[in-house]
Amino acid sequence: MTSIVAVQQVKKVYGKVHEEKTVALKNVNFQVETGEFIGIMGASGSGKSTLLNILSTIDRPTSGQVLINGYDITKLRGNKLSDFRAHQIGFIFQDFNLLEDLTVEENIALPLSLEEMSPKRIKALVTLISKKLSISSILKKYPAEISGGQKQRAAAARALITKPAILLGDEPTGSLDSSSARELLNTMTNLNQKDKISILLVTHDPVSASFCQRILFIKDGVIGKELRRNNLDRISFYHQILNEVESFES
Amino acid sequence: MVKKMTLKLALSGLKNHLKDYFILFSGLTISAAIFYMFQTLAANPLFLKSNTYLSSIVVIFNLGTFLLAIITFAYLNYANNFLISLRSRIYAMYLMLGAKSRKIAQLIFLETIVIGFLAILTGIVCGIILTQLISRLLIKQLDLSLIHYSPWNNQAILVTLIFFLFIFVFFALKNARKLVYTPILKLLNQEKTPVRAHKNPLLWGGEIIAGIVLLAIGYWALAHLDKLNVNGIFMAIITIVSGSYFVFDSLFLAIIQSLQHRPNFALKRLHSFTLGQLNFRLRDLTKLLAMISIMFALALGAITVGIGFHRDIATITNVCSDYDFILHDPSTRELDQVNNLKLTDTSVYHYKIASNKVYWLVDDFNLKPFNHVIPNGSFNPIKYSHVTGKQMLKDKNQWLSILQSYLGDTSTILPGGFLSKKEFETKTGKEHIINLYVLKNFMAEKNQIKPLVLADNKKIKLDVNRDSTQKYNMFFVINGMLSGFEFMGLFLGIAFLAMLASCLMFKILSGANNDMHRYQILKQIGARHQLLEYSIAQEIGTIFLLPALLGVVHVLFGLQMFKVTNLIYEPYKNLIIPIGIFLVLYAFYYLVTDFIYQKKVLRK
Repeated sequence: MTSIVAVQQVKKVYGKVHEEKTVALKNVNFQVETGEFIGIMGASGSGKSTLLNILSTIDRPTSGQVLINGYDITKLRGNKLSDFRAHQIGFIFQDFNLLEDLTVEENIALPLSLEEMSPKRIKALVTLISKKLSISSILKKYPAEISGGQKQRAAAARALITKPAILLGDEPTGSLDSSSARELLNTMTNLNQKDKISILLVTHDPVSASFCQRILFIKDGVIGKELRRNNLDRISFYHQILNEVESFES
Repeated sequence: MVKKMTLKLALSGLKNHLKDYFILFSGLTISAAIFYMFQTLAANPLFLKSNTYLSSIVVIFNLGTFLLAIITFAYLNYANNFLISLRSRIYAMYLMLGAKSRKIAQLIFLETIVIGFLAILTGIVCGIILTQLISRLLIKQLDLSLIHYSPWNNQAILVTLIFFLFIFVFFALKNARKLVYTPILKLLNQEKTPVRAHKNPLLWGGEIIAGIVLLAIGYWALAHLDKLNVNGIFMAIITIVSGSYFVFDSLFLAIIQSLQHRPNFALKRLHSFTLGQLNFRLRDLTKLLAMISIMFALALGAITVGIGFHRDIATITNVCSDYDFILHDPSTRELDQVNNLKLTDTSVYHYKIASNKVYWLVDDFNLKPFNHVIPNGSFNPIKYSHVTGKQMLKDKNQWLSILQSYLGDTSTILPGGFLSKKEFETKTGKEHIINLYVLKNFMAEKNQIKPLVLADNKKIKLDVNRDSTQKYNMFFVINGMLSGFEFMGLFLGIAFLAMLASCLMFKILSGANNDMHRYQILKQIGARHQLLEYSIAQEIGTIFLLPALLGVVHVLFGLQMFKVTNLIYEPYKNLIIPIGIFLVLYAFYYLVTDFIYQKKVLRK
């Protein structure tokens, strides 16, 4: 197996030269294999948001290297960075981040419009992905007119339409009710298993984490523990996570 | 203690968003400065009466003040909303932390008043300085003659102070009330969620037609103002205002939505996003944009009319006299000066005054025929060209009295007659010469002939205001009459433009905080920085362009009004100049808005 994400000796320190320093990430190392569904768990203040910001190219590490699909993202600037975001990574966020003044269809099509793809091909790809995520019936609606679960599916469709190397999720079920959350996680599992899409999820919710194959626990800026699901069923894995969270956090 | 704390909080509020407050403050200052500058004209009846021939000029300026007051109020309303958009979140936080709403109301009241008061004072100072600069510039550039005009005007200061204080107290009360009565949640989350507007296609089509028909009626009324009089003006105001509103509410929206439904356009780059933004914005801005198109037309119209009056000065002078200047018994020194000018025509006529009667040498007129026009208040005066002495003899009395008018103060002399060379030589009495000149380019050389004409006017005790024999004196009189109008037209035009463009600017910038989030999302999707800049330039450009387009159409039809009422000669001539000047200034506002907005929403 090849790795799609390689994080090597990543350190992140906040605070300017003469200010008091806060170390958010001390020395983080891990890899995500192609086609893996991986979760990163940690309490607030653990450094998980900093890590996700670095992976999603919103922030840069103070030192260390992050490779995604072969690109050293710490060295990307300007248009190269924009193009990397457009082609290599897809995001889904807790608060959906859909553009409110575009219809669901326009939201999903936007990344392809940026690539100057032909309208015909865009239409075909939007139809395909919306069928896969069961949102064909709401394509003409505005985000304000659909439910939270539907919004998150639309966001996932937008994130996946460019066939990114990896899908990054930041508490994607955080704003959803439990049944919508479960539906979304099942969809993600499907995408991972059938379409071999690599997924990295940052969450503090054990239920969401239980859908992953592997979980990294982060505390005080370092990855302290790793948990693999192996052949466990989801419920047993869930209980294992709960126990681990308890012992890890204390 | 509590009061001290409140004051501290209010002032710290100013400190935090320094850049935004700078934009707001400079906007308020400019509006106060413009208002003051207009008041230096309007609150100065002495100036108004001495500069125009219309007795109703004071009324016209009062009307101007009224219009300016309305747009200032609308403008300050947008500026105030911008202020609220800066502050509401922070005040909601104070409320959440348990601050009493009465205290918060005091705070926002205080803040509005502090900003307002500082802006008024700075505005008046800027107004005085600008008035000084602009009046000097205009007087120099346009040969304006402004009498009784001074940059410092106590009454103007008083009127500006009272008007703005009144408005700021009003807004301070309104803001305080708003913060107390709006639910905290709404204050915290002011982001407007766009909701689809359901429009019945039939009604929509009807609205488009109604808009166009109303505009057509308004334009028709302006083109028939000579018959409709005041009723025509009322009719035009009502139909054009409502027509503009309908056009914005329906036609422009229809164009944008039809673009949204064309995949070949909408699915290119960020077009779908830009169109989506415009679709919601236009609906939000319908009223503002309709108002701006009207203000745009008024401002552009005022500048066009101002320039029209300027052109009229030359046109009227041209048709009203054939000779550029006249010298009576010129000295050798004066003749030397004349020789340095570029002349196209010189006529020399001799006359003698004997026993209080004037006798002309008729041979002079046969040698060099005489040209004469009789101004009759229109652009088609009665013209006599190449009148020879022989012709004059046929209608002796008429021509003697016409020639008499070329001699200045004639209270002690009477018309005598025409004499042949022989008779003239034997006639006793003092011989005089009158030299009539035509310059190659009057406007270019008018300053050089000024001392000659003034000395000659004095010599013959000429009442300049009643003289129509020489172009220089005509120019002096007509320039005096029309300068006031020209100044007012240019001034009002530029002032209105500054205000209406700032209204748009504040409205767009007020939304910037909400839009920032959308541009962050686009960045995360992978939109390149240049593409975002381009999309913003397109979006703001459209918002600026649409009212400008409609405004130019209003002006093109509106100028008919001056044509049919004969107020301006050839109102459409060189129209490209005022439109050009205006659009350059307007484009400047657009670029500034675009720049500030990009700085705000694309912050790294």
